[in-house]
Amino acid sequence: MSAYINNYELLCNAGDVESLMQAIYAKESALVIDNTYLDDASAGLGIMEYDNIFNVLERITQQILDKSNLDNFHNTLLIMGSSVGGMQECEDIFYRDMSFKNIDPMRYSIHVLSDYLQEKFAFYDSRAISTACTSSANALLLAKRLIDVEAYDNVLVIGADGLCRSTVLGFHALGVLSNKRCTPFDTDRNGMNVAEAVGALLIQNVKVKDSVELKGVGASSDAYHMTNPDPEATGAIRSMRDAIADAGIEIDDIDYVNAHGTATLANDRVESLAVEKLFGKKVFVSSTKAITGHTLGAAGAIEAIVSCEAIRNSMIPPQAGLKNQENKNINVAKESVKMDVSYVISNSFAFGGNNTSLVFGACR
Amino acid sequence: MKKVALKIISAAKIYAPTKIENLDEKRLVPHMMTRRRLTRNSKVMLYLSDKCDFKDGKIVYGSCYSELDETAKISRSVLTNDILSPTAFQNSVYNTAPSYFSLINKDKDEIITISSGMKTSLDTLKTAALQALVSKERVFCVSVECINIDKIQEINRCTKYLEAGAAVVVEISDEIEDAIEIEDSKMPDMIGSLQDLICVVDMYEKGIDKILIEL
Repeated sequence: MSAYINNYELLCNAGDVESLMQAIYAKESALVIDNTYLDDASAGLGIMEYDNIFNVLERITQQILDKSNLDNFHNTLLIMGSSVGGMQECEDIFYRDMSFKNIDPMRYSIHVLSDYLQEKFAFYDSRAISTACTSSANALLLAKRLIDVEAYDNVLVIGADGLCRSTVLGFHALGVLSNKRCTPFDTDRNGMNVAEAVGALLIQNVKVKDSVELKGVGASSDAYHMTNPDPEATGAIRSMRDAIADAGIEIDDIDYVNAHGTATLANDRVESLAVEKLFGKKVFVSSTKAITGHTLGAAGAIEAIVSCEAIRNSMIPPQAGLKNQENKNINVAKESVKMDVSYVISNSFAFGGNNTSLVFGACR
Repeated sequence: MKKVALKIISAAKIYAPTKIENLDEKRLVPHMMTRRRLTRNSKVMLYLSDKCDFKDGKIVYGSCYSELDETAKISRSVLTNDILSPTAFQNSVYNTAPSYFSLINKDKDEIITISSGMKTSLDTLKTAALQALVSKERVFCVSVECINIDKIQEINRCTKYLEAGAAVVVEISDEIEDAIEIEDSKMPDMIGSLQDLICVVDMYEKGIDKILIEL
């Protein structure tokens, strides 16, 4: 059974799907330089306009339902991917009260986001995934497999992460946070921008107008280091190879790599090497994190939507912020490229050496 | 919705009111620097993998609260304006324990981490069943909760056991007729997120080695 992405919605620092794609094609970064999170430094961040993440989740889920061929979600599985879950609210309480006492343990963990939507929309079932920055990519991986084996007809995948003080300070402690708008694949890049977003995709076993097929999925572990990628890029290559094999296509069929591209020194060097070894200069590559920042557990879902848009618009997203390309043996798209886009591969990599790649295919 | 039969190959569980003693870390992780970085969840998971004789392959790991100790360390550092430990941050993600397993055992296969509240271990089993069905391989399914942090009594209303874990190695069975639904028996005072997997371990210890599970 094939898995089709039949509609999607998102909210990120650049706004909704339409606003984000306009910003991507115009290479207009929506990242801001913030001086409030760090005492002694500024940080480039991706900040959404919203009141609280629960309202964003509810609104986006309702929009998906309204646009779908479903009357309700009673026959739909919800899979939530998030790296922080309810921590945003709980850490605010902890810093305010300087105590755990007023924290509700049932509002802390990852499932608080899926439980909220379960209560509002009465899904058939729900589950929550948390593999750090591959969370919603792995949610999509599971959704595809559940439809493949005919366990479900409809799966709603949501990636959601709100900005937390702990996360911003944590990446700062690791020395990978940039004080400017990030510049993936540039020689002079100096790190990533932490960001927040909610992205949702309805995956179904039937094709509708404008469907994009979730064609293949692959995953691997580096087994190398908790935060640094394997310098030989074996894990990244394996996840991409497995996804392409699962899609039943050849490496040469891929038109565009939507890179993980965080703009950290280590990630971009290793991911470039992986793309070089696998594709050479045959495919266009770019990282849309130059516009959105790194939306952590939501990144897989957000970049899946960007990949679908590249196929639907027949337009390869360009690399924003690039002045001096570090690895000259890959084809980073300097400008938008108008062409028939048949297959896109999107990468997500995470702490612990957790790698996930997803292949999206045009339905023509 | 689809149900499949899972054959249980091996099973283990462990729990303690405050701290599980003798997790055999020195034998399981001879490299001292790696051993010193391990979180409690990681140590319990490594212990359970050894008991289940699992060394390599796909892992589905579950934890509702995951690395609570590391997260609390970060929050306290922020509150007191102390320097935040990079190790605490890298160890705070939900997939920390299976990632350490992967590093130590050079396991390059897929890792999925589930955190579904009080039904975490049930969803861990469901996901392990899917992974086993798709890959036709044996899958390590493990859930761990280690919530023994300073002042946990301020918020703990759900368990008498502050450290606990359960695990099974499973594979798909084609003989669905004699597979049995997970029994509806609860271990008193055990955190809800581990109940289903502990129940499966108990069933295995009673001689039931095939369970029926909805994907």
